[in-house]
Amino acid sequence: MSVHHPAKTRGARPAAAGAAFYDLDGTLVGLNLIHTALYIFSNLGEWTGRASYLLNFAARIPSLYFAERRDRYLLNVVLFEMFKGVSRDRLEELGDEYCERVLMENLYPQARDMIESNRAAGLEPVLVTGSPDFIAAPLSRRLGIGDYAANRLAFVRGRATGRLVSPIMAGDEKARWCADYAAARQLDLGKCRGYADSHYDLPFLAALGHPVAVNPDQRLSATARSRQWPIIHFNQKGPRTTLARAMRAQAESWIWRWLDGAA
Amino acid sequence: MARPEARLKELKSSDLKHEIDARRDLVVTLNRRSENRLIAYGEDFMFEKLPAGTRVVYPPPPLDPLPDPDTAIRYALLHPLNADPLFAQLNPNMRVTIAIDDISLPLPQMRRPDLRERMLNSILQTLADYGVDDVHLVVATSLHRRMTEREIHRMVGERAFRQFWPERLYNFDAENRAEIVMIGKTDHGEEVWLSRRAAESDLVIYLNINLVPMDGGHKSVAVGLAPYQSLRHHHNPATLRDSHSYMDPNRSALHNSANRMGKLINQQLNVFSVETAVNTQMYGGMLDFLQKNEDRFSDWDRMRLKGFRWTLGSVSNDLRRQMLHQYAAPYGLTGVWAGETETVHRQALAKVFQQYAVPVKGQSDILIVGVPYICPYNVNSIMNPVLVQCTGMGYLFNMYRNKPLVKPGGTMIICHPLRDEFHPEHHPSYIEFFHRCLSETTDATELANKYEHEFAHNPTYTHMYRYGHAYHGVHPFYMWYWGEPARQHCGRVIAAGCEEPEVAARLGWEAADTLDEAIAMATADHGRSASITYLHLPPLVIADVE
Repeated sequence: MSVHHPAKTRGARPAAAGAAFYDLDGTLVGLNLIHTALYIFSNLGEWTGRASYLLNFAARIPSLYFAERRDRYLLNVVLFEMFKGVSRDRLEELGDEYCERVLMENLYPQARDMIESNRAAGLEPVLVTGSPDFIAAPLSRRLGIGDYAANRLAFVRGRATGRLVSPIMAGDEKARWCADYAAARQLDLGKCRGYADSHYDLPFLAALGHPVAVNPDQRLSATARSRQWPIIHFNQKGPRTTLARAMRAQAESWIWRWLDGAA
Repeated sequence: MARPEARLKELKSSDLKHEIDARRDLVVTLNRRSENRLIAYGEDFMFEKLPAGTRVVYPPPPLDPLPDPDTAIRYALLHPLNADPLFAQLNPNMRVTIAIDDISLPLPQMRRPDLRERMLNSILQTLADYGVDDVHLVVATSLHRRMTEREIHRMVGERAFRQFWPERLYNFDAENRAEIVMIGKTDHGEEVWLSRRAAESDLVIYLNINLVPMDGGHKSVAVGLAPYQSLRHHHNPATLRDSHSYMDPNRSALHNSANRMGKLINQQLNVFSVETAVNTQMYGGMLDFLQKNEDRFSDWDRMRLKGFRWTLGSVSNDLRRQMLHQYAAPYGLTGVWAGETETVHRQALAKVFQQYAVPVKGQSDILIVGVPYICPYNVNSIMNPVLVQCTGMGYLFNMYRNKPLVKPGGTMIICHPLRDEFHPEHHPSYIEFFHRCLSETTDATELANKYEHEFAHNPTYTHMYRYGHAYHGVHPFYMWYWGEPARQHCGRVIAAGCEEPEVAARLGWEAADTLDEAIAMATADHGRSASITYLHLPPLVIADVE
């Protein structure tokens, strides 16, 4: 259970009848890993550092595209390579900030209701995501989610090596993690619910008794229909904080800081 | 007990003349030379030879419609029963909620203008004339699926839609905790919950269409604007088992419970009911042969039947379904009444029975019914196996007063292809109910105890009900309970023309390839002299069984 992070408050809760496993990107929020990476890179150190990471990112867009087309696992590997050299404390700080300023703002209101309704029905929420742990941890804390599985970067002397520690949370690995999680807690997977948006999550959803496709992509939608899985749609009502808006806000903040300094 | 015919004579003789003449030959006993009979068979029709001696019960011909529906509606609003006229109840500062029956009525959908549009236009004009601005239009869906924008537009018409959609014209949401309120308990301990908007209104106007006698009355507000917390008190196996029948409100525990709730509501709210009755003019024009006695078919009728069946058989499943659901019936308005709920409903009921009631002598060993492509819960959708069960054993079995058409322990033959086919957006909880719950048991009480709570509170289904167009998570249970009186009464149910025997087995039925085979299976039980009754649809008929 290498990726399992029990929350401190877990002991206070009554034993759950089952679990509800949630994917994060595209399911609970309308953002994805690329948003996360861009936010982090555009907030790293001095402007030269930012420029170098963003240029590196831009250079790798084709490989990211083909990786995404081929395999989600590969996308994770290629994307997290770009974090090489970033310090752990900086990532944790930015992860917390990203969570507060972007993720929580973009969390679908119905997703939060779903988590609470499932919790009321005795299903403990568990986050199973390909996002890095420095994003998943603060988000779980804010949503009151006790356990999560996320990707972890390897660090040497406090700096990211760009490699991911296995297991890498994508495809089959998510399903395997859920099975291990349920076995460790003596939960019946047949009574557990799973929510995800991508066809890459098919093994994860198929492993659970009550799979639900949330805002599914075309391929997952077709599979869900043929397997008669429920399909639900979360949407963002009210003002949305998109990445563009977040970046604009960031730019405005820099301008004001510069103007303050000049004055 | 009075003879069933005696009930009809309670009505004015001038009203009855037309019907009595027409009803002399409504129960037909077939002989060897009789023509084949048309039997509804899902999205198709069977045209089958029934054994000699089979009794066929035909629906009465349509009553004459009122010549000017708009004038009739205005007259009803100006001359209400046991209540002040609508205009006399209005003042500019009041809050008014108009609740409207949803798409489940009438079936098939009626040609435009829909009766609800006509009623709304009259009422909204009156409200505008008296300066009432705080008006909301609520589609009384209860736990049914939310109607789509297009469906609502078609139902309420251009004027109401333009003026009120979407802020002040919307579907009732039984799962919005902020929008429902408990207004009390009946003397039987039944919790009465209601739409908060209605509960806080100075006047609630309910616009109803009575297609069958189980509609209308207190059931309109007490069910249409109520959430699960209220419905569970009467939509349960025990109450439905004690209803004989749903079409005879005086002998229905379901209606008694709804009446208790409705009375409590009327004590606290000012409810102004508007009820309408329509005739049986379901199929007109090129399809009028569907309502005819087959022995009187002309060559033109036979040709149209062949053409109709050929067309249905030639197109894809989706197209056939669309064609059938887009058909709109030329119903005629036979009566409209407004005022105090119970007085209005008594009048409407009398008119509905006048339209549907047919005296039938005695029960039979075998009852044959054909389940059509549509029921109240699959408008613009798929008739799934749970709904076939509900339509056959819930609605068609209950088309009686006094006694069921089939003897206790008798056999019911239900004609339908019975495919494992569900609409994923409209009936998601049905899929799990059918595959998971029914595979364990078909016992309604056991299902209720073991699974109802889980489905009623399943967040996925609740989300799909609130934000999509799904029936509530608990709805398939209600459909199953609906068939409870028939399950208790009949010894055997056979699905005739069944394409997937495992579906029939899941419902607790037996499967037969053809109607002939089903009849042979049934007569093996009851003997070769078994009496057979075929309830002819469309349109609808209620048998007053002696």
